[in-house]
This record gives sequence, structure tokens and C-alpha cells, in this order.
Amino acid sequence: MTDRSVLPSGAPRTAPVPAPSGIGVRAAAPLILILLVAAFLRLWQLTATGFNSDEAVYTGTAASLAGDSRLGSLFPVFRAHPVLFQSLVSLALRVHESDWAARAAPALLGVATVATTYGLGRRLYGRRAALVGALLLAVMPYHVVVSRQVLLDGPMTLCATGALYCVVRYSESPAPRWLLAAGGILGFTVLAKETSIVLLGSLYAFFALTPAVHTRWRHLLPALGVIGVVVVAHPLTQLLAGHARTGGSYLLWQMFRRANHPYSFYGREVPWAVGPLVVMAAVAGLVWLRRENTWRERLLVCWVVVPALFFTVWPVKGFQYLLPAAPVFAVLAGRTLTSFPRVIRAQRLAAAAAIWLVVGSLAVPSWVRIQPQTSTRFLAGTGGLPGGREAGVWVRTHAPAGARLLAIGPSMANVVQYYGLCPVSALSVSPDPARRNPSYRAVPNPDRALRDGDFQYLVWDAYTARRTPFFTGKLRELVGRYHGDAVFTARNANGVKVVVIYRVRAS
Amino acid sequence: MRVLLAALLLVLVGAGPATASTPRTHTPIEHLVYLMQGDRTFDHYFGTYPGADGPPPGVRQPVDPVHPAAGAVAPYPLHGSGPVSPGAGPRLVQQQFDGGRMDSFVSAFERQGRDGRVAMGYYDRRDLPFYWNAADRYELFDHFFASSLDGTRANRAQWVAGTSDLKGPTIFDRLQQAGVSWKFYVQNYDPKKTYRSPDDLTTQTVRVPLLDIPRFVDDPKLRSHIADLGEYYRDLAHGTLPAVAYIASSGAGERSARSVPAGQRLVRSLTSQLMISQYWSSSALLWSYDGSGGWYDHVKPPAGRGLRVPALLVSPYAARGAVQHGQFEAASALRFMVENWGLRPLGGRAAQARSLADAFDFAAPARQAELIPADAREAALPVARRPSPAPVYAVYGVASALVAGLLWGAVRPKWRMS
Repeated sequence: MTDRSVLPSGAPRTAPVPAPSGIGVRAAAPLILILLVAAFLRLWQLTATGFNSDEAVYTGTAASLAGDSRLGSLFPVFRAHPVLFQSLVSLALRVHESDWAARAAPALLGVATVATTYGLGRRLYGRRAALVGALLLAVMPYHVVVSRQVLLDGPMTLCATGALYCVVRYSESPAPRWLLAAGGILGFTVLAKETSIVLLGSLYAFFALTPAVHTRWRHLLPALGVIGVVVVAHPLTQLLAGHARTGGSYLLWQMFRRANHPYSFYGREVPWAVGPLVVMAAVAGLVWLRRENTWRERLLVCWVVVPALFFTVWPVKGFQYLLPAAPVFAVLAGRTLTSFPRVIRAQRLAAAAAIWLVVGSLAVPSWVRIQPQTSTRFLAGTGGLPGGREAGVWVRTHAPAGARLLAIGPSMANVVQYYGLCPVSALSVSPDPARRNPSYRAVPNPDRALRDGDFQYLVWDAYTARRTPFFTGKLRELVGRYHGDAVFTARNANGVKVVVIYRVRAS
Repeated sequence: MRVLLAALLLVLVGAGPATASTPRTHTPIEHLVYLMQGDRTFDHYFGTYPGADGPPPGVRQPVDPVHPAAGAVAPYPLHGSGPVSPGAGPRLVQQQFDGGRMDSFVSAFERQGRDGRVAMGYYDRRDLPFYWNAADRYELFDHFFASSLDGTRANRAQWVAGTSDLKGPTIFDRLQQAGVSWKFYVQNYDPKKTYRSPDDLTTQTVRVPLLDIPRFVDDPKLRSHIADLGEYYRDLAHGTLPAVAYIASSGAGERSARSVPAGQRLVRSLTSQLMISQYWSSSALLWSYDGSGGWYDHVKPPAGRGLRVPALLVSPYAARGAVQHGQFEAASALRFMVENWGLRPLGGRAAQARSLADAFDFAAPARQAELIPADAREAALPVARRPSPAPVYAVYGVASALVAGLLWGAVRPKWRMS
């Protein structure tokens, strides 16, 4: 076996020898308990709040694949992303067509990510660190909140963590089979969400900065080939389905669209979602245990830093985009928290207290964030959209077939369209094809459209109203001009108005 | 005493608000809206509609019935041609009818030195997308006859009274007597234009026969039932739609070619607003046309009736896409109103005509409202075409198998060793 150890010379070469463990259930009990906690937090009151915009789109796509003709005419299968995860959700919907079935799929994949994180942590730092890391991820608000939604980032994180595990195995030994497996899973990660291709940059940085980990072209090229073979599934399905050009138009739109958040977005949002104490523990461990740092830490740091830099520069930012970093933070924090001296009882107590303090600092906000939200501020990716489902259900039961609605923005439009089963346009969708999502249809002259009776209802929502005062004012004008009559009002848990549907008439 | 109070309460609750002010209806229809439009024939609007009684193949109208060698004109589509309108009065329509021979639709014009070919023009889905869409989704009558060959005034009188003159009672007198709410909505209503107007130039009294009857003009209580069309929309929104609503259009009356699109927009607005209102489940909207206007129709009308005119019924109790072949006329609606609200008999045609009730399907549950698209074909969403899921599942399945195989290959040696 090639010696792949780097600085310092005394650092462990491969994974620490696992501590002698119990047998059977007793040994597995802590992990099972952690997985149960993870499952509880991810499944408890899973559908208390309806879908948000992205969830509506992905579930609409999945329902379309599952043969739902009503949603199939509203949500195209091929939009911006490959449909690996949507295909999985479509299978769940074929079994039981419900919001719960759709959300249970990513939630269970989230639990699987906790198990994979345990495997990664155990390989890198031993069983104790792995258990702490898995527990931290199990209760981490970032991971809990995202994996409770029908979003691509949860499955992507599972695959990415699996790929990371394979890279660790390859770095430990020269066996190319692990690099091939890493390539396969990384390809799968890209099929879960194409933006994860940036993780190739992380690996490039790691291999380039770590000469001690010898990589050979005869290992790398087949692995890259495997990535290509797996990823080709996306264009191939598009081609077979006759949508070969769809992906291109989305890519162009994504590349040239206006930035949706400032550069400071991730610095402001992600540490709070991962948990400040977790971030501190992870970073502190890198500094405090720097003499023990090896290629392992370099790999983990590269895994986090490259995507963070990329998405900070990339104009389109999403709260959940950095989720693959969450298991890494958990593992690094687990390493730190299990490195405290535990010679005397007081030290052991202090070490345990530190662990439970960090766990508590995550569990409490997680618990709070999975309760029905009362704020009228909504950050995409942080949960369901209060009032959206109720508005859509009202539309489905009260609006005539063929009714058309006009919302302020496409987010609420997607949700009402999903639950209401009728087309909903948005005022803020640009008439310029280069400046809008190719899936959306613009309303170039809303005033005329209303005068011609093309829309029967207008939809106001508090979340979009906070973000786009201009289009909200425009909608208010239309409500006044076309005799808007509020026929439905949804309120959040605090009783604040969050969605209002107005019936309008031109005469 | 308690039992008595409970029984009284039950009676009151059971009676509901509808019976508090208006008599209970004999059918689920508690609100009837009837719009009368201008001069069109069935063949002219729906002659090529699938399943309807359109002109037989090879039909032609002679330019001169006495001299067949002068040629004949076949029905032709008006699509793409300039706006045309025959502009025929009652005398010309009688000449076209030719004592029931139905052979002078072209020659009646030719005898006046006009181009008779225009009478044979017809529209189809391309020109009347909204009406054809309405027929697809609701009910089309293909044997709905104008009440008379004697022109608009006579037909409109039949519309409200069941007779060609307005000396007797109208349906609104009966509704008023029975305490049934009603309104007559008029597009671009001008309250000053009544039978008292000094000039004969106004057509409002023709379109709105009530304004030709002194008691409806002079009695403020009756007069208050005649309102501008805008009130129809307000009544729908405010929950004050009367049990019976008549509507007379003005600029959107479809008497000229240019007003046909306006007519479709008007009917679309009337139907859409009814459908999104609270009244849909208990309402019916009928629109028909008051005369032929010189356009060709191939069916000889029954004695005393005018030519066939288009008529459509939109209601939760109208069968989807049905073509109603039974014989109906404006008085069919009068008879329905008399029977539905238990009014005193109106006499005239209202007693003879087949009731509009026969056009409904009350055995079926009320249909959910289905808005009628304005265009011939609704524009699809940009990428809404749904692909077959089979290739998607197959390709992703193969990719999954490949990744699983690679993982198996990576893990397997360890298992061998153990």
C-alpha cells in the first residue's frame, strides 16, 4: 500500500483504528437512535404547510411523469434541471398521490445522508467523532429544513457525501475502483442537481494542493469517463422525449439573469442555518488540531470552499445551494468535540457538556423552524409557503374550469397553479424572453388582458409584496380598476393576511 | 310550546332566504338570464358545426327561381372576406321565404338590384371561436326559430310577451304580480329614450320593448327594473342578481359584421362573470337572435314562425357539447318561466311553445362551471408537452444500475477478504 500520509509525519496514515465496539444491536443502538431522531425531525408534521414555489414545480414535474394529465399540462417535465429526483418522487406519487408522499422521499434521503455522514466520519476520525457528526447533522436546522422539502439539494447532498466517502477511500489506497465509484456517484450527484458539477472543482483543488495523494491519469480518465457516461442520461432523456433544446434555453437564462441576492448572502445566511457553534467547532478544530491535520482536512476544506466561492460569485443564489457542505461541517465539528481531553471525570463531563451544548444549539432552532411560520418574510428554500396551498385549494374548488389568475410574482403563481390546477401568470415575468424563465409566459399588457376578460382573479401575497413593491403597486392598481372583490383570504399562524384572491371584472 | 318553537324554527330554516322573497322554483334554476342579439340565421353561424342540422350537400339558391339558367349560389365561407351585411327588412325576408318555398334568398336581393350572393355567406369556428367553443362545452339549439318573419320589433315583442303586439301582459307583469325579482339590463342605457321620445331615430325602444309600454315607463316602481348593463355585473358581485334577467345589447348586437366580435366579447363577459359568481349552480344563461336579417337558412319554419336562429344555453344543467334538435323559440323561455316560478299563464305563444325545461338535464348533477375560451385554440404553455415517462425511467434506471455496479465493484474486495 502506498504511503499517502502528509504533514505531520506522525499523523495517522489511514483511518484511526475503530475503538473496540459492542456487538450487534448494542453497538448499533446509538446510530439507530440518531437516525430515529433524524427521521422524527424530518417527518414530523411534514405537510403542516403547503409547498413553496420550487416544491410545486418539482412535484408538478414528478406528477406529470407519474401520469397526472392535469398537472402535466401545467408543469413541463424538462425545465432547468435533470429529473433524477423527480423520477424518484414520481414513483412515490404512483404509490400514493399526496404532498406527504412527495416530501417523504427527500426526508428519507435526508436520513440516509445522516447515515452516510456517519460512515464518512467513522472512516476519517473514528466511531465517536462519527456519531457526534451524525447527531449534529441529524438536528442541524440547515439540513432538517431543506430535507423536509421537495428540493433537489437534499438528494444532491446524499450523493455528494457518498462521492466524498469514495474519494476518501481512494485517497487512503491506490485502488482505482474507489475513484471509479466516486466518479459514478458524482455523476449521479450531477443528475440530482446539475450545479453540483462544481464539486469537480473541489476535487481538482484537493488533488492539485495535495501532492502526497498521487493520482494517476489512468485512474482519473476512466473516472471522468464514468461521470460523463452517467451524466449523459440527462441530455439522452431530453433527446428521447423530444426536448433537446430545452436545457440550453434554461442555461442561457441562468447565465445572464440578474443576481437575486448580494455577495454577502451565504455569509449572512448559511452559518446561522448550519449552527454558529458547529461552524466555530469545525474551524476551531482545524486550527487547534492543526498539527494533526492531514489530507483529510484539506479534502474537507476544499469540498466546502470551492462551492462557497463559486456560488458567491454566481448570480443565482439559493439558500439551499451549499447544503453539501453541511455533512462536512458536522464531521469536522464532531472531530473537534471528541478531541477534548477526557482523562479525569471533570474533563469527561465538560466534553459531554460541550457536545450537548452544540447539539442543543441546533435542535432548538430546528424545532422552531419546523413549526408553522408566522413571518411574512419568506426566503426561498427555507420551508413551505403559508397560505399558498389554501389559496390553490380554494381556486380548485371554487373557480370555474378554464379560469386564469394573475399573481404578482411567479413564486406564488407556481404554488397556486399546482394546487389550483389552472394556469396562473405573474405580473413580474418579463416580456423579454432573455430575461425570463423559459417556463413562464409573460403578460405583456395586463391592463388589456383584464379588459378583455382573460383573467378572472388577481392574487396578492405578502411574501412577494415585500420583495417587489413596484409590481405589488401595479397589482393594487388593477384590483382597483377592475372592481376587485376579495373572495378568499389566507392568514398565517399569527392571523396576518398572507394571501388574498380578488375576483375581477372589466365592466 | 318548545316543540312548537322548534317546528317554527325548522320551517324557517328549511324555507331559506330564497323563499323569503320569491316563490320556490320547480326546477333547480333559480336565475334565468336571457340575452337577445341581432339578425343571424342558424346556417349562417352554425351550418357547418359537427352534428348540427346544416345545409345539405350541394344545396344552392337560384339567382332567379323563374329562370334557373341564370345560375345558382352555393353557401360559401365569409372567412377572410371584408365585412358584409345584407341589411334586410321584414319585407325582403318575406320575399326570401317566398310563401314557404324557401327559394328566394338570393333572388330577393337581386330583384332590388343588390348582390344576392351575400345572403349565402356563412361563418365557422375561425370567425366565431367563442360561440363554437360555447357550443362545444354547453348546449346548442339547431331548431330554435325566430318568433316571426315580421322584423325586429315583432320578434322583440314576442320575446317579452309571447305575442307580436305589446297590448297584453308581458312576462314582467306576471313576475311582478308573483313577487319574483326581475330586471331588464340594457347596454348603453339612455333613460330618456322611451316611447315618448320625439324622434323615431332611437332604436332603444325596439331593442327594449318595455320602453314602448307606458306603464313600464311611467310607473317608477316598474321603471326601476330597467337598468344599465353595468348593473348586471354589480348585481352578480353583490349577490343581488334577480331571478329573471333580460339583456338587450346595443353596439355588440351583431347586426353588422363589425359588431360580431363585440358580440362575442359581450357574451363572454356575461357568461364568465356568471360562472365566477355565487349564482352559477342555480342559473341558466340563454342567448338567441331575433331574426334572420336576410341570411340564408335551409329549414322551412313552422307556420307563423321565423327562420331558424342560433341559440345557446349555458347552465350547470346543460349537457356538455350537446346539440338540442327539438323545436324551440323565444316563447319557450316564457313558458319555462311561467312553469318554473308558478306564474299566472301568459297566453299567446307562451302557452303553445315547447318549454325550455326540456333542454335541461336535471337528472344529472350540476356541472362545475367551465369558462369558455375566446380563441379557436388556446395557446399552450411554452414547453407543456408531456413526454412519455418510459424513456425517462429507462435511462435513469440504467444510470442507477451503472452507479450501483461501480459501488459494488468498490466494496466487494473487502467482503471477499472478510
